[in-house]
This record gives sequence, structure tokens and C-alpha cells, in this order.
Amino acid sequence: MLRIESLSITLDEFPVRDVSLEIRPGEYFIILGPTGAGKTVLLETIAGIHAPDSGRIFLGDREITSTEPRSRNIGMVYQDYMLFPHLTVGDNIAFGLHRKKISSDKQHALVEEMSSLLEISHLTKRYPGTLSGGEQQRVALARALVLKPEILLLDEPMSALDGRTRERMRMELSHIRKHTGTTIVQITHHLDDVFALADRIAIMREGRIVQIGETSDVFMHPADIFIAEFLGISNIIRGNSSRHGNITRVTPVAGPEFFAASDVLGDIVATLHAEDVILSGEPFVSSARNCLPGTASEIIPFGNTVRVILDVGFPLTALLTRESCHDLRLEPGSKIYSTFKASAVHLIQVPPSAQRDEIEPLIPGNIPTI
Amino acid sequence: MRKIALAITIILFFIISATILGLFLYSPLPVLAQSLTNPEIQFAIGLSLVTSVISTIICIAVAIPVAYALARYQFPGKWIATLVLTVPLTLPPLVAGIALLLFFGTTPWGRALDQAGFVVIFTPLGIIVAEVFVNIPYMIRILRSAFSTINPRYEHVAKTLGCTETGAFFQVTLPMARHGLLAGTVITWSKAIGEFGAVPMLAGATTMRTETLPIALYLNISGGNLDLAVAAATILILISLAALCAVEYFDKGVHVF
Repeated sequence: MLRIESLSITLDEFPVRDVSLEIRPGEYFIILGPTGAGKTVLLETIAGIHAPDSGRIFLGDREITSTEPRSRNIGMVYQDYMLFPHLTVGDNIAFGLHRKKISSDKQHALVEEMSSLLEISHLTKRYPGTLSGGEQQRVALARALVLKPEILLLDEPMSALDGRTRERMRMELSHIRKHTGTTIVQITHHLDDVFALADRIAIMREGRIVQIGETSDVFMHPADIFIAEFLGISNIIRGNSSRHGNITRVTPVAGPEFFAASDVLGDIVATLHAEDVILSGEPFVSSARNCLPGTASEIIPFGNTVRVILDVGFPLTALLTRESCHDLRLEPGSKIYSTFKASAVHLIQVPPSAQRDEIEPLIPGNIPTI
Repeated sequence: MRKIALAITIILFFIISATILGLFLYSPLPVLAQSLTNPEIQFAIGLSLVTSVISTIICIAVAIPVAYALARYQFPGKWIATLVLTVPLTLPPLVAGIALLLFFGTTPWGRALDQAGFVVIFTPLGIIVAEVFVNIPYMIRILRSAFSTINPRYEHVAKTLGCTETGAFFQVTLPMARHGLLAGTVITWSKAIGEFGAVPMLAGATTMRTETLPIALYLNISGGNLDLAVAAATILILISLAALCAVEYFDKGVHVF
């Protein structure tokens, strides 16, 4: 287990402030955040590249805050792989084994084992400059994994890859993790990585962890508007909420009221995932508490899906398959009903100062439930 | 514009080629071979080789850490350090020579060194000191340029793979900077072989004592012995051409200036 306690470090313009984290053995943990949030500095500090200004890092029971990187047993793979260009692929993979003074027979066997796991055995005689992005990625992973690290740190490992290679690499990482049982901490911009790989995620902003939790929990219950926007939640509606009997009624700044299964009252923003909105030509009876009539204002094809923006008094986005869109004969101006559950609506309290940036970070357990 | 530019290029090419060719034509191969048996020329070649090789090794050893510090670290007064370290680059070699002469001849530190046995004025040791002083900024600049193009993350990764900080430098950064190191070595060495300015100022121009190839050329032309002067010049030109070819070969993305 990796435990970080109140870690702070200032490095150029990327500070890390008071970060505390616990990463469980065998977990796939993803840190998300905009550029400049301090994600890479955090990862490098875990690896021991930078000494923190304050705070402590533990690997299991062992404190490693001031341990040299080479004695931490933590592997690192960067976005641009950092393969040593003057060494062959085989020598790159064996680099760490060589430093550990492992016999050359054993080195050879370990390199062979790792190369075949990552399907790069045929590349070992080549130099990194002659490899494709995906191949370089595998070599970088093999070089780190051959040392059997307790933790593998991945700094945006798939940003430089094209869509299809990225897809394959995700499967590969999932496979590696199952095969080796290595704990993986990855930083990324790509939400697809999160859905495909993460057990838990942390959102980082301006050097701080602003939310941490199970992936689905964070997506369903973003702690503030920044996180909701960052996670790409399409419907973020400002308004006011009040209690009526056993249900909460949301009055948006403009447009009709709707219900939310939440006990957050007062000035709020409501978040609703586009995929939780059902469209129908006629209103229908269901257990969902909200059914709002509206007009389709924009229909935007997006891969196999279609994003429909409705005007229900406020803009409301729904996500449909192309088939559903066709069956509903949707076109701009169509009258349409949108139905969504009260439990799909998540309310975030807006602090009295209404300063988005001053919203307090949530810690696990404080996430409101609906 | 195209025509003018090409015409000037061709004219300049012919002027330079003709000048160099004139030197070779004056001293045909048998004459050159004869000159090579002359003890004075042989001494000059030997002294030039020894002093230039030693001064180049010193330049490499000192410039590597200095260039690395300038490329990687931020420290107070870095800009002034960079400026001072570059001064010998812009200083006329004669001025560098007189400065060295005054330092070793008139200052208490210079005299202390002299008394400690480090005698540089009018000695072959002075040749090495002058060559190092004049050439080290070139080595620093070339290596700094080479180091700063290497992402520090290579060293970070090397450290996570079991290297110490020094180990990461020698295993990864230095081999990656090898083109710069080789180019720098060739340039420094060829400049050291041809150094004439600071060297006679500090080490003097004494026949068969501090007589390097350029000094042999100067002394012989002053004494009217044109054959030996041309022989020295031809050897220097051959060394320059070889160095130029070597730099062209090694210089991959290394900016000298």
C-alpha cells in the first residue's frame, strides 16, 4: 500500500499542496486534472525524483520520504517513454537488471519473459528510434516492469498514441495488471482511460486533490462545478432547491422546476448526465419523477451516438444512439419530452460567496448520497 | 537574388580553394617530406600534439561539470557566471595571453603558484595553460548546448531503474551527449593545435623549447626559411581539414555558437 501524508512541494510553477492519498495494493488508481495541476510533480515526488518540502510517503510500513529513487522499488513510465536512444531495446529493458548486478543468464531470461508478455520479443535487437509509438510504449513498460516494482507510475502514458493504439494499450495495461498484480497509479486527461481502467480516481486542481473516490461515485457525485465540468457532465443547471414533503424541488434560474433525490438545499447547481435523460414523442407513465416538454434545438452526431440539445426552458442535453434518434424522427424544432429520475440529479451546494474556486474539497465519506 | 547569391558563393569558393591550393602547390610532396625530417619541425609536431592533447583532456574534464551545471541547474548569479565563463571566447587571444602573463607574473596568487613549482611563464606548461584558458569556453558552450537538449526525465527514469545521480549522468546523459562531446573535442583540439596568440605571450616563442607548429611557422617566416614555414603551415591546414570533416561527421544537432 502507498500512503501519502500531507505532501507539499513547490517546483517552478507547479506546486503540490497538502496532498494525502492512500492507494491500495493491486489497485488501478487514476489521477485526473487539467494541465498545470501538479500531477506530474506529484508522481515524480512519489518516485523520489524531488524531495518534498513537507509531508511523508510510506510504501507498506516503510517510510520512503527520503529514500533514493533506486531503492524505492517504484517504476515510472513517462508520456514520451524516455527510452535510452543509445541502447537497443533489449539493453533498455535490461538496464535496471544490469544495475542490480543480476547474472547475465538471469537477465536474459527476465528480459525474454517480459518481452514475450508485451509481445516485443522480435524488437530486442532494434534501437528505440526505429520503433512506432505503441512499440516504444511497450518497451518502456517492459523496462519498468522487469524489475517487478511494487508500484508502477504512468505519466499520461497514452497521450502520444493514436486512437486505435490507445484502445489496444488500455487492454494491454489491464492484462499486465492482472498478470503481474502490480499496483498502478496513472495520470491522464482521457476520460476513456478512467472508464476502462480505474478502480478509484482522484481529481487534482492547482496542486490539491479536490475529490477522491470510486470512479462511478465521483462521476455520479462531483464535489463541485469545476469537477462536474472537468468530467464532461453535460447538464449543469444553476438554481435553488427547497424541501417539499419527502422530495426536493429544484427551481432553476430560468425554466421549469424539477425534482431531485437530494437533501442539499439552498443555492445549488444541479448536475445530470446526458445519458440519464430519456426522450419520447409523448409523455409516458413511469417511476421517473421528472418529465419536461421541450423542443430539440440542436442535433450533433458524435461517433455512434447523437447529442441532442433541447430547450425545456433551460438547455438540456440528452445522449441517444443513432437508431433511437432515427426512430424518434428527431430534427431541430421537433417537440419532444425528456424524462429523468430524481435520483439521477445530483445537487452541489454553492457557497454563499458564490466563488467557484473557494468550494471546499470533499473527502471520501462526505460525498452526498441520493 | 538567387543569381547574385549563387555567384558570390562560387566566387568565394574559388578564392578560398585557390589560397589553400597555392600553399600545397608551393610545397610539393617531396619538399614536404624533406621538411618533415627536419628536427625543428619534428619537435614542433611533437610539442603541439602533446600540449594540445593534454589541454583538450583538461578542457573536457573541467567543461563537463561546468556545462552540466549551466544546462541543468538554476543558481544565484548564473547569468554573470555564464558571462564570465564566455569572456575568453570573445577576447582576442593576445589579450588573453597578456592577462595570463600578468596574472602569473605579477599577482601574489601567480607568484605563489610559481613558487609551488607550477612554473608557466616561458615554459611548455604555459602552452597548456594558455590553450586551456582560450579554448575551454568553446567546450563549455558546445557541451551546454548538448546537455540542454537532453530531457532531464531520461535521468529520472535511470534513477528509478537503479542508478545513482552520478550513475544516471554517466550511463545515460553523457552517452546521449556523445556527438556534442566528440564535436567539442575535435574543435577544442584543432584550435589548441593552431593556437597562436595567448601561447607565445605566456610561454614565449623559443626555438626547440616552446616551439609549437604555429610558432615554428612564425619563427621560420621571420628568419626567411620559407620551406619550413610552409611545411608547418601545410601540416596545420591538413589538421584543420581533418578536424572540419570530423566535426561535420559528428555534429548532429549540436550548435557551436
